[in-house]
Amino acid sequence: MNRFLTRLVSVREIPVLLALFIVLVVTGIANPQFVSASGAQDIFLGVAVIATLSVGMTFVITMRHIDLSVGSTAGFTAYMIGKMSAHHHGLVTSLLVALGIGLIVGAANGFLVAYLRLPSLVVTLASLWIVRGVFDQIAGGDTVTDNQVPVALGYLGRHSFANIPYIFIIAFVLILVASFFMRSVRPARDLYAMGSNPPASELAGIPVARRTFFAFLASGAVSGLGGAILLARFHSADSNSGLGLELNVIAACVVGGVAIAGGVGTPYGALIGALLLQSITQALGALGVSQFWQLAVNGTLLISAISLDRYLTLRVKPTRILRVKS
Amino acid sequence: MKRISFNWDKGILVFLVLTTIVGSFITPYFANASNFSFVIQDIGEFMLMAIPMTFLIISGEIDLSIGSSLCLSSAALGYSFRHGIPFWLCIIIALLVGIACGLINGILVTKFGLQSLAVTIGTLALYRGLCFVLLGNQPVNQMPLSYTNLGSNSIPHTFLPYVTILIVIFGAIGWTTLHYTRLGRWTFAVGINVEAAKFSGIPVARLKLALFAMTGLMAGVAGIVYTFRFASASPDGATGYELSVIASVLFGGVSIAGGVGTMWGVLAAVLELGVIRSVLQLTNVSANTLLVVSGGLLLLSVAIPRAIELSRNRRKLVSLDSKS
Repeated sequence: MNRFLTRLVSVREIPVLLALFIVLVVTGIANPQFVSASGAQDIFLGVAVIATLSVGMTFVITMRHIDLSVGSTAGFTAYMIGKMSAHHHGLVTSLLVALGIGLIVGAANGFLVAYLRLPSLVVTLASLWIVRGVFDQIAGGDTVTDNQVPVALGYLGRHSFANIPYIFIIAFVLILVASFFMRSVRPARDLYAMGSNPPASELAGIPVARRTFFAFLASGAVSGLGGAILLARFHSADSNSGLGLELNVIAACVVGGVAIAGGVGTPYGALIGALLLQSITQALGALGVSQFWQLAVNGTLLISAISLDRYLTLRVKPTRILRVKS
Repeated sequence: MKRISFNWDKGILVFLVLTTIVGSFITPYFANASNFSFVIQDIGEFMLMAIPMTFLIISGEIDLSIGSSLCLSSAALGYSFRHGIPFWLCIIIALLVGIACGLINGILVTKFGLQSLAVTIGTLALYRGLCFVLLGNQPVNQMPLSYTNLGSNSIPHTFLPYVTILIVIFGAIGWTTLHYTRLGRWTFAVGINVEAAKFSGIPVARLKLALFAMTGLMAGVAGIVYTFRFASASPDGATGYELSVIASVLFGGVSIAGGVGTMWGVLAAVLELGVIRSVLQLTNVSANTLLVVSGGLLLLSVAIPRAIELSRNRRKLVSLDSKS
């Protein structure tokens, strides 16, 4: 029994799932309206964008890197999709342009990090600004209004299948596919090895540079298409779209057990993390707590999550060799 | 490695001189006392926060919550002023709040053994959230003019704003501490190899805790400067400052991997960014170009030393841990 418990706790997603469950139950008892179809819908809607972007971020963080440029990229492509549709381009063309922008940003990040071996924090901080600057220059004070949003995206953002918003379903499918890849497909599986011990993975014959490049490329592609979800979700876009989104995405990943030190974590864990953060935000509203507390509670939650994770690593798995920060 | 970063620091200084000369030629409004005063005022908070951030990054840690810490101490100043506390006491409270912000980060990193990147993303949200809790949506205005004038006026008989005094004092302290004292040597040692530093008897945890507290204190000082300059304390002030501060430190030749950097490189880099911004604004180049230029410069600051290193050193590089 004890061994079973130990193994259960060592699944990193379980404590987060438990916390999510507790939040939902406690809030549901205090305010029965919270546990309703519309309450669930709100949570799913709120989480769709972050869940989508967290897929690429999970790839990148797992191999002990970081990608700060996702918010700028997603905001930029959200605006571009809206503007192209306003100029009567088809949805497919707009999506291809969005994907193209994402791939360019991802390839630039990937090339600088993988082949020139520059630190990813610096590279993606620079590309955050460069993309944002180009975006501001193109957008100016212009806004994509509701009637300029492509009809299909507008529909996906407003409608649900069995009370689950379509954009959440899209994000969920993406997460499932990514989880399968990281579990069972070798190139994605290699990211864990690269994250837990970079020199060893190189010696073991993993093409580290190529894997790194493609992980950043994937993150760029996901953020490019994430712009479509962003546009569908908010029905509008302007030069402030996606501002600061990158830190929310990283927070969702970290809460969901994707350790910033690399080597562990899953896309579905990041989804659970995003759901937890979003439900707490929503729960505070349902419990009548002032909205001013939301950000502070989210910050505290993030710190508790990484502290708990650290505690569990030290106490429950004492045999695990602790990684010394090099 | 040492030699290359040395070159980059020098490059910044050359770059600074060049930008100033070019700026004076292309716009007549650049090279005069009032614009110089404006530039100094514009970069005041960044200068003050870049000094402790240099120590922190050299020691291998990072503080993403510094913008929120600044705002929280500004908010604490406004909150206590709103509740009728004498203004000089409000300033002390603001400084204490700044130190507390830094200490919390430091304790989480050193005592709990957490990664500073993750911790300070959390406290970034936490401190910002507390600003809203303290002030709600209402900024605090109508602060005593005798204080807020310090933020907008110049030192009598000169064109320099009052913040120059703080920059000179803290810059000098930071410079001597980093390069001429034991604390500074320890900071480098910890950044180069934390295990070796531990075994040679350096109190790594206490050092890091002190560095985080110092960062918080300087965020508090910058918070007061910020409050005086705008004569108000608002819960959404200084958003995104953390990335600007970190970028200017890196631009100044400090390696994100730790162990490399100079104080004068960083100070010159902050000044350089202020000068570039001023030249671009005076020549009516849009603010967006500034973003692109800052990003480009940041890339160059890591790419050029790496390119030099690659061309000098044809051996296969094994720099595998490049993130933190």
